[in-house]
Amino acid sequence: MGLVQRVLEAAGIPTVSLSMIPAFTRAAGVPRLAGISYPLSRPMGQPGDADGQRNVLRALLGVLASAAAPDTYVELPFQWPESPAQARKGEEIHPPIAQLLARKPWLLPRIYTGEIPDER
Amino acid sequence: MTIDSYRFLDFASRQVIKAWVSREAENTRPIPWAPMPRPLAECTIALVSTAGVARRDDTPFDEEGERRNPWWGDPTFRTIPLGSTESDVDLHHLHIERKYGRADLDVVLPMRRLGELAGEGVIGRPAETHYSIMGYQLRPVVLETETAPAIAQHMKLQGVDAAALVPA
Repeated sequence: MGLVQRVLEAAGIPTVSLSMIPAFTRAAGVPRLAGISYPLSRPMGQPGDADGQRNVLRALLGVLASAAAPDTYVELPFQWPESPAQARKGEEIHPPIAQLLARKPWLLPRIYTGEIPDER
Repeated sequence: MTIDSYRFLDFASRQVIKAWVSREAENTRPIPWAPMPRPLAECTIALVSTAGVARRDDTPFDEEGERRNPWWGDPTFRTIPLGSTESDVDLHHLHIERKYGRADLDVVLPMRRLGELAGEGVIGRPAETHYSIMGYQLRPVVLETETAPAIAQHMKLQGVDAAALVPA
């Protein structure tokens, strides 16, 4: 996402990113970033919580308006009401790469080093 | 930075992301900057979601391609017209829990909330078109050199003043 943000900004469109993993997004080198301590898959908040989602979006857009220089980083004050274990409870996520690496664990270092096969 | 970026990640994801962060930390590319062209309250705002959102009447992101080659993720983008709802779209990102965004699209692509903020006078107006990519990109060459520039061009043609990116 940081890459896309950089390209849009370089094309002349001011951008802001929300991130649940701000250390990662910031390392990509982005102009405006808002960190939030929410679980993956629910960046704006809980389904049906329009007020909470609107508050997050208002704060995110506020960073667009207030940032004065590249690498602006703001931490949004919202707290997730569940522990990480509670937040993950009942989730069903089965990425193909996890299944592949469970079968062929010797390929795991490629994920870390970025030596990614480029053929389809 | 006081937010713990790894708090909600499982052990394996935490290790992988930490490795990527330390690799990225070595890059010293200059950070681009485009100033806001007008006050936020007058801006047309577009959203970009990385949740792999596609309209049901559009081509879905290629989940089968990723199942065939798990190192690959569909690097294309989809346009989502303002007003599209849960019943008009599906999510095609195999690395997130999709039930939340399927139940309430605003969890990942907050177009309704953006419209409400226009009503409050926070922004000028939502763009007529919003965007989605699928965020699993281990080798993001096509994303950077083709997809993102195409999104930028589309935004400009649509009169977008600024964009907010929402990860998944």
